[in-house]
Amino acid sequence: MNKRLLGALGTVIIGAGVIAGIGTYVASAKNDSRVLAATPAGTINTPQGNLPHYTLDMSAYPDSMAGSHGTSGGPHPDWVTYGPVTNFQVPAHSVITVTIKQYDSGDRITNDFFASVHGTIDGTATFNGQTAKSVDSTKVGHTFTLHGLSDAQSQLFVSVPLPSLPDADVPDSGYSKTPNTITFSFITGDAGKYVWNCEYPCGDGTIARFGGPMSAQGYMSGNFDVVNA
Amino acid sequence: MSDLETQKRPSVFERKDVKQTVFFWVVFTAIIGYAAAELQARSMGASASETMSTTIHMMRVFTWVAAPVAGLVAAMAMTTLISKIHFGDTPPEEADHEIRNATKLTATWLIVSSVLCLFAVVWGTVVLQKDNAALLNPQAMNVNVTGQQWAWNFDYVDNGTVRSQDLYLPVNKPVVFHITSKDVIHGFWIVQMGIKVDANPGYTTDTSVTPNKIGIYDLRCAELCGLYHAFMQTKVHVVSQGDYDAWIKAQGGQA
Repeated sequence: MNKRLLGALGTVIIGAGVIAGIGTYVASAKNDSRVLAATPAGTINTPQGNLPHYTLDMSAYPDSMAGSHGTSGGPHPDWVTYGPVTNFQVPAHSVITVTIKQYDSGDRITNDFFASVHGTIDGTATFNGQTAKSVDSTKVGHTFTLHGLSDAQSQLFVSVPLPSLPDADVPDSGYSKTPNTITFSFITGDAGKYVWNCEYPCGDGTIARFGGPMSAQGYMSGNFDVVNA
Repeated sequence: MSDLETQKRPSVFERKDVKQTVFFWVVFTAIIGYAAAELQARSMGASASETMSTTIHMMRVFTWVAAPVAGLVAAMAMTTLISKIHFGDTPPEEADHEIRNATKLTATWLIVSSVLCLFAVVWGTVVLQKDNAALLNPQAMNVNVTGQQWAWNFDYVDNGTVRSQDLYLPVNKPVVFHITSKDVIHGFWIVQMGIKVDANPGYTTDTSVTPNKIGIYDLRCAELCGLYHAFMQTKVHVVSQGDYDAWIKAQGGQA
């Protein structure tokens, strides 16, 4: 075979191999593949009629020693994280009741918009048993903010602030015995792929504290798939 | 003096390859102009403001004005491929360059290019200036726009303390946006209204538009801003003044 042709063919094969290798590495490293599916809880009466009811339980931790990163905390043990996983799956056209235990401290949120509850049934959430439409914007630990592409799928924007614990209640090791408990419900639309993230700047010192765990999947953000039941 | 030396050389435009190039130039200009102008206009989407209509018209004209330049390059490439290509081991004799040190041609090319650029600058400036006319309109409504990874929110400052995540606007009323960011740089882009302005942390940038068609439009972030930049989208609802007032009241504001 012509040497030039052989050389060109070899270059193409090696190039394709390198690109495939990089793609495989990025795909395997980009995210935790585990998904938590919502638990069925019968039906519930809503302004939209009687709908299937599902629940999701999760927690927000001040480090990565809990959740999906293992007890060693993974590559960034000091990063804040949600757990037990950061990818969720819920049915379409259903009521989803989310309960979050919040173990972290906090401060003033940069944007008061996210100190209010948006997109839930009645526009409210329950904070340690008290129903409210917003929390003190100077005492926010994290938020759970769910949103998606605006094109070709149902709009789903849900944002709930998670009040912070006092600094004294966050131990240096382990977690508080009295986390804040936040509960809220919302109704899903058509099936689609959404994402969720935290809107409190709880990342490292880069990008206005939106770096680190705020800029990486598997910590303060993840996928939220709405699927046909 | 030999017969060859006394033979009168044909003018440039009598040469076969030049005629061929001129033919391709006309054809390619028509194809490129039409295809690019139409593709561009379609990709820009429907217009929901005069700003967008003007922008689409401007882009069409710019595309047609630029088409002869692209057409000439394509024509010369095609002529070269057809008549100047050479196969085999023996290299061709050096081409007899007819066009060399052509002062008039160079001057014409430079002047035409300069006029085209000036035309684009002047017209673009006029259109941009027209876009911002509403900034000085005392009847314009004001909306504070805040970008944050990865969501937008809007404060309707003329209507009390109403905030929303979708943007609601009354039709045919000038609106001034006061745009800022809470974290990194975002791009405030209402696709069908033809306005796109950066949202900078610590600064407020003003821009304006008058939506002229009722409907639901797309608002996207146009500045790569992090992990979920692609999800930083929301809807713009352009409604009648009556529907807008009703919506404001439903949100607890003052119409």
